[in-house]
Amino acid sequence: MNRVLVVLLLTALGSAGSWPAFAADPPPVAVPGFKYVRSVGAVSEYTLESNGLTVLLMPERSAPVVTLMVTYRVGSRNEVTGTTGATHLLEHLMFKGSPTYNDAKGNSIKQYVETVGGNLNASTGQDRTNYFAVTGRENLEGYMAIEADRMRGLWLREEDRRPEMTVVRNEFEIGENDPRDALDKETWAAAFQAHPYHHPTIGWRSDIENVPIEKLRAFYDTFYWPDNATVALIGDFDPKSALQLIAKYYGAYTRAPRPIPQVYTTEPQQTGPRRVTLRRAGELGLVSLAFKIPEARHPDYAALNLLSMILGSGKTSRFYRALTDKNLTLNVQAGAEFNRDPTLLQIYAVLAPGAEHAQVERLLLEEIARVKRDGVTEAEVATARGKYVAATAYGRDGSFAIAENLNEAIAAGDWTLYYTLDEATRRVTAADIQRVANAYLDVNRSTTGWFVPLAAEPTPAK
Amino acid sequence: MRHLPVLLACALGLLAAPVARAAIATDAVRQDIGGIDLVVLHTGARDVVTIVGSLPAGDDRSPAANAALATLTGAMLDKGTTRQDKFAIAQRLGDVGASLSFSVGASALQVSGKCLRKDLPLTISLLAEQLRLPAFSEEEFTKIKKQLAGAIRQQLEDTDFRAADAFSRAIYPAGHPNRQPSPQEFLAAIEKTTTAEVRQFHSQYYGPTGMRLVIVGDVDAGEAQTDVRNSFAGWTGGSTPPAAPRGPMPDAGREQTIFMPDKTNVSVVMGQATQLKYSDADALPLRLATRVLGSGFTGRLMANVRDKEGLTYGIGAFLDNDTFVDGDWRISGNFAPNLLDQGIASTRRQLAAWYDRGITAAELERTKTRVTGSYKVGLATTRGMAGTILTMLNAGMPLSFLDEYPRRVSALTLDEVNGAIKRHLDPNKMVLVRAGTVGTGPAGAK
Repeated sequence: MNRVLVVLLLTALGSAGSWPAFAADPPPVAVPGFKYVRSVGAVSEYTLESNGLTVLLMPERSAPVVTLMVTYRVGSRNEVTGTTGATHLLEHLMFKGSPTYNDAKGNSIKQYVETVGGNLNASTGQDRTNYFAVTGRENLEGYMAIEADRMRGLWLREEDRRPEMTVVRNEFEIGENDPRDALDKETWAAAFQAHPYHHPTIGWRSDIENVPIEKLRAFYDTFYWPDNATVALIGDFDPKSALQLIAKYYGAYTRAPRPIPQVYTTEPQQTGPRRVTLRRAGELGLVSLAFKIPEARHPDYAALNLLSMILGSGKTSRFYRALTDKNLTLNVQAGAEFNRDPTLLQIYAVLAPGAEHAQVERLLLEEIARVKRDGVTEAEVATARGKYVAATAYGRDGSFAIAENLNEAIAAGDWTLYYTLDEATRRVTAADIQRVANAYLDVNRSTTGWFVPLAAEPTPAK
Repeated sequence: MRHLPVLLACALGLLAAPVARAAIATDAVRQDIGGIDLVVLHTGARDVVTIVGSLPAGDDRSPAANAALATLTGAMLDKGTTRQDKFAIAQRLGDVGASLSFSVGASALQVSGKCLRKDLPLTISLLAEQLRLPAFSEEEFTKIKKQLAGAIRQQLEDTDFRAADAFSRAIYPAGHPNRQPSPQEFLAAIEKTTTAEVRQFHSQYYGPTGMRLVIVGDVDAGEAQTDVRNSFAGWTGGSTPPAAPRGPMPDAGREQTIFMPDKTNVSVVMGQATQLKYSDADALPLRLATRVLGSGFTGRLMANVRDKEGLTYGIGAFLDNDTFVDGDWRISGNFAPNLLDQGIASTRRQLAAWYDRGITAAELERTKTRVTGSYKVGLATTRGMAGTILTMLNAGMPLSFLDEYPRRVSALTLDEVNGAIKRHLDPNKMVLVRAGTVGTGPAGAK
């Protein structure tokens, strides 16, 4: 249910004028080798001049912990046929060690972070890959040393790829078990024909199974460089000391020897409705609607985000009243995806037993038509904004929550969205929402998905 | 943006460890307010307040003839009160971005909420109103019955749910609070329940007696106490949790297969009832030992079954369902159908080695360090802190236990830890449940 997470995350993004947790515009610190770039809100940006590494510092001392996160600006959008899923598989292999830090020596990243009681993980998305740990502040240097080492020192051995391939394939299989996940893959594949958002982040099964280690190595050597990465530090640390540590461990690397390849493919204009249908064993049907919308940095994004909340967030939403409260759906969720490139506003309806796909689809479209025709009320906008503002505060409940949201803004291509999206949200009016509904919720630029459950005879439970 | 977390299993087994800070027992303010056990803790979080609570009105209070009664009652709490309908309540919460939700578990109704500091009085007042004055309208009752029935149908598609669901009936005897009714039994109970029965259940079990409320974050204790006092003034009733006899230890190993068509992954649960409650002396050493086997990237299961052999995306071991009553010990994992037998065999090898030889002195020391270190990380969120405090109280532990926890962990000896494994577990008597496209079809359950 990745999309659910996305909806929650996006409503938690950003806040500018009223961030009570942090002092705005912290004064920069001067550390040799770093260029101070700017401060927005409580975040200060620096560049490590020797290699172009971007550094974001956000002191936050509500607890004696620190989150260190490295975000590489590479995701499944950087993959092509034959290497789909390579970003994600490489992310897994990043835990397999290096000549300096590995399981055999007892000092691998897993062993170190878990022994000191930290939480360690990584994730891959369409636009980025991130690695992070939350640890006690006294363990910052220990973790940073290992994290920095794997930026360029990774083993990347075939003997590690083989068992990890089946691990990742099992992750793929777990996703396929879920009707919504399966429908999601087909929806994106239909909605995007040229742009690499076409393929799922986890990749196509045959690519997961067959991508050779040489291609993964090439991927690593192309994208894992300091000038394609952002190191973010959030929590209880001293900024000057932190920069000195970053210089010590990341300053060892040069810039990428060749320019980082940029994605130049753009999706052609869609000129007619598209449909996908999955028929598999299951219990309940699904109906999804996906409309083409612009990227996260676009001025209309804030209005689209509030529109999706008005349509599908909670009991006050249009879809709840029109469908769920009438026992036609178990729930309906809507979310404007937050991407670097033009993306989708997605609506997912889980059908109640006995409800028909066509009826639910028709009612969803009727509600959208009503918003386009009659607009939304100022009260609806105020409620959506209230939820958004509160979510920004909840998104600051701990350094990891902050890092998680900051990560998506980095991935979208502008970390200051972490703050500026809130400013934009505060300015959204009911008229804006009606305008973007008419501009983007166009059936000729939509993809409709049905999951049709085939009758199954489950084993009687004992 | 769609993203894939690399390791779900890294969190397995960690949830049961208390988070702590320098002195929770002294920083937290605890008071009985009209029968409600209220704990308020101010933390460094800014503007965010988390509310959690429990009431002894769980499924264990449903009569044998109606397994759905407690769940249906809890599900009606946010469907309107005698003062305002569900839309009005949702609007008031939504306008300030606050949330309140209710869920019914085996032994309690659980309350969960979040709000900004300024909105705590409103949130508490709406919480009280929903708990005290549910409307139980026929119209809403008809709707919720259909919604619940649909939700159960949806769960039937989930291999994880199906495996865990069958496991509960395989290891707990009839009448044990942790034994789940079968989906069919539950669906039948939903169908026949009336609003009169729900009203009666509410009248009998809802009240301040036995209720716990924990409020954590940017909150003033005195103000929170006043809010609770005002909102719950005059409420009476409730009940103390029932004393449940402990279930029997397993007598023999068994295997069960739940066939589900068109599934690409098989969920496996393996384990047994333990007769142990969280507050029992052996629970902590067994938890520590279990972390060595099945917690995080470096647990033996992940390090071997996943990392070395590539047989699973996620696998972990943990103790579960032991807060209120005696619970269970289980391994939970995922396997591709063609690697299932290998995966189970590998898991059994790890289990056998762990059981036969115990954990090593080095593993014990590393785990102690790890638990101590995770305390600071656990400080980081209001939800983690609030949830842990509530769990400890529901387990019958004093607040001071949260401060003593590191010392108790540090004091554990290898003999205590390995002895707990032998005293409470027996791999030969464990139940194994598989759910997925395995076996020979609907009639092929092994």
